[in-house]
Amino acid sequence: MSLLDFARGPAIHWALIILVAGTIWRLLGVLVLTRGADLSRPRDAFGNFKGYRTVFSRAWPSGEFTTATRYQTGMAYVFHIATLIVVIGIVPHIEFITGLTGASWPGLPNAAGVAFGIIALASLLALILRRIAKPAVYCSNWGDYFAWFVMAAPLVTGLMAFAHIGPRYETMLAIHILSVALLFAWFPFGKLMHSFWFIFSRAQSGVAYAHKGVRI
Amino acid sequence: MSTTATTAPIFPSFEQVVQGFAGQIGQLREMAPKPTLSDAVRVRRAIDTLIAETNADEAVWLESCIRCGQCTTACHYFQATGETKYAPMRKMNLYRKVYQREIGPFRWWYQLVTREVKLKDLEELQELVYDSCSECGRCTMVCPMGIDTASLVHHQRSALVAAELVPPELAALRMEQKHAGTVFGASADSLRKMVDTIREKAGVIIPLDKERAEIMVLSSAVDLVGNGNGLLATAKVMNHLGVDWTVCSDGFESANFGLLSGDMSLWKKQVDPIVAAAQRIGAKMLVIAECGHAYPALRWNPMLKSDDLPFEMMYMSEYLGRQAKAGKLKLTPLKGKITYHDPCKTGRRGGAFEEPRAVLKAMDADFVEMPANKEYNWCCGGGAGIFLLERATRLRDESFKIKMEQVNITGAETVVVSCASCRLNFEAGRVKNHWDRKVESLVELVAEHLIEDPRTVPINPAQGVSA
Repeated sequence: MSLLDFARGPAIHWALIILVAGTIWRLLGVLVLTRGADLSRPRDAFGNFKGYRTVFSRAWPSGEFTTATRYQTGMAYVFHIATLIVVIGIVPHIEFITGLTGASWPGLPNAAGVAFGIIALASLLALILRRIAKPAVYCSNWGDYFAWFVMAAPLVTGLMAFAHIGPRYETMLAIHILSVALLFAWFPFGKLMHSFWFIFSRAQSGVAYAHKGVRI
Repeated sequence: MSTTATTAPIFPSFEQVVQGFAGQIGQLREMAPKPTLSDAVRVRRAIDTLIAETNADEAVWLESCIRCGQCTTACHYFQATGETKYAPMRKMNLYRKVYQREIGPFRWWYQLVTREVKLKDLEELQELVYDSCSECGRCTMVCPMGIDTASLVHHQRSALVAAELVPPELAALRMEQKHAGTVFGASADSLRKMVDTIREKAGVIIPLDKERAEIMVLSSAVDLVGNGNGLLATAKVMNHLGVDWTVCSDGFESANFGLLSGDMSLWKKQVDPIVAAAQRIGAKMLVIAECGHAYPALRWNPMLKSDDLPFEMMYMSEYLGRQAKAGKLKLTPLKGKITYHDPCKTGRRGGAFEEPRAVLKAMDADFVEMPANKEYNWCCGGGAGIFLLERATRLRDESFKIKMEQVNITGAETVVVSCASCRLNFEAGRVKNHWDRKVESLVELVAEHLIEDPRTVPINPAQGVSA
C-alpha cells in the first residue's frame, strides 16, 4: 500500500469515524447533564424566548466594542468564509465528498480556489501573529497553538500540492490528506468544537439575561 | 415649593459614612474565622461543591472558550491594570480543570494528563474570583460565545466557601450574618433606634411592624449603622406617596452575605424571614432598599419560586420609576447636568434600566448618558463585596479611573447611583481623587425634591392610604 493509498483509505476513513463518534460523544456528554432551573418569575412571561436571538445577534460584536474587536472579528470571518469556500468549492474536494456521499456540485476555477486558499492561510497567519504579539490578552495554551497547527497544515499542504512544490505530487497529496485526517481526528477533542458550542452557549446566556429583561 | 433640606443635618454626610465604614472594615479582618479543616478535606469540599453546582449550562460555557481574548476589552480590572492574570477567561480555568477531570465526557483522559487540584490552586483562585471579579457580566457582552463568566465565578465563590477560603472581610460578615443574623451589628434593635431617631429628630414617622401593610420596605446595614439619611429619605418618599407601608423588624436587611460570599445556604437563610414577613403582613409589594446585590438575592433568586408568592418584588429605583411614570411622584426640578450609573446587579444583571431614568426625567433633569451605559455600563469596581476587601484596594482604585473618565466625558456635575455599595465606592474614589463631582443616591435625591403636600408631611401611619 502506497502512502497515498493509506491516506486516501484507512487514514481518512478512521479520521472521519473519530470525528463523528468523538463529536457525538462530547456533545452528548455535556448536553445530557441536568439543566439548573431558575425559579424566579421572568420579567415578562414570554420574554425568555427573546434570548434565543443572541445566537444570531452575537455574530458581530456590539458597536461598544468595535474598536477593540474589529481586527480579531474581521480576520476570523475572512478565515472562516475563505476556508469554507476552499473546503466545498474546489474540484478535488467535491470529488472526495461525492465519493463519500454521492452529492455533487460545480467547482470553482483553479485560480479562484488558490486565491481563497491563500486568503484563508493569510488570515490564519494574521490571527496567530496577533495571538503571539499579545500574550496578556490571549492567555494561550498549547491547545490554541495545536488547533492552529492542525488548521493551517491542510491549507499549506493543499496549496503546495496544487502548486507542485516540495516532494513529488503523489507524496504531497498524501501528506495533504493525512493533514486533513489529523484535523478531523483532533476536532472533537480541542477548541475546534466551538463550531457546535457557540449555538448552545449564546442561547443559554441570551435566555438567562432575557429572563431579567436584558438584551445581550 | 421645594423641600430641599435647609435645616442642620441629623445624620453624618456620606463622606463621613465612608470614613466610618473604613474603620469598621479594618476590624473585620481581625474577626475573620480561621480554617478548621484539613487541606485535603477543604480541597475535596471545593471540588464536590463545583460538581454539585455544575449543570449543562456551566458545562457548555466551560467547553466554549476559544481564548480569543475579546473579554479582556470588557473587564475593568484587566483594562485598568493590563495584567494578564485578570483576564476574565482565566477566571474559569480552575473550574474547567475540575469539570474536565470530574464531569466532562473525556474525564478519564484528563485524569491521566492533568494533575489534581491542590489547596494552593484554590488559594490562588481567591484573588481571581473575589478581588478581581465583581460579577458585573460585562465580559459576556463581548464574548463571541456569549459565555456568562460571572455565573462561573459565582460557583467558584461557593467552592471557596466550602474550602474555608473566603477573604477575611467577607468571611467575618458571613459568619456574623450566619450566627447573629446581623451585618455590622445592625440588629432589629438598631432598626428600632433608627426609627425613633428619625421620628424624634426629623419628625418623620416610619411605620414599624404594622400587622398588615400593602408594601413592605427593606432597609440595610449601611442605613442603620452609618447612613441614616437613606432610611430617612425612604420614609419621606413613602409617606409622600401616601401608601400603606411598613418596615418589619424580623425581615428588614437587604444585604445578603450568603450571596456575596457564595454561601448558598446563608443566601436562603437570609431570604426566608423576609419572604415570611411579607406573607404574614399580606404585602402585595416588597421594595428592596438601594443595595444592589439584594436585587439578585431576592427578585432574581433562582431558588425562590416567585410566581407562587402573593407579592411582587421591586428594587427601590424600579419602584420610584413606576411611581414617577404613573405621575404619583411630584418632584421639583433638579438643577445642573447629571448622569446615572447603572449598578451591575440592577442593570446588566437585573434589567432595571428605564425606571431610574424615569425618576430623573420626572425631576426635569438635564440628563446625559455616559458613553457606555445600560447593558454596556462599566462597573464602578466595588461591587460583589469588593468594596470591603482591603487587598483589592489597588484594583478598585485603578478601575475607578475608568468610571471617572466615563462621568467626566458627560460633563455632568453629579452622578446618581442607586446602590449603597456603588455609592460607597464612588464616594471613596471621589475623596481619594479629589474628584470635582457630586455623588448622589437616587432615593435621597428624590426625597430632597419632593413637592411638599401638607396632607402627607409628616404622615401618621394610621392614616396611610393605599396607592
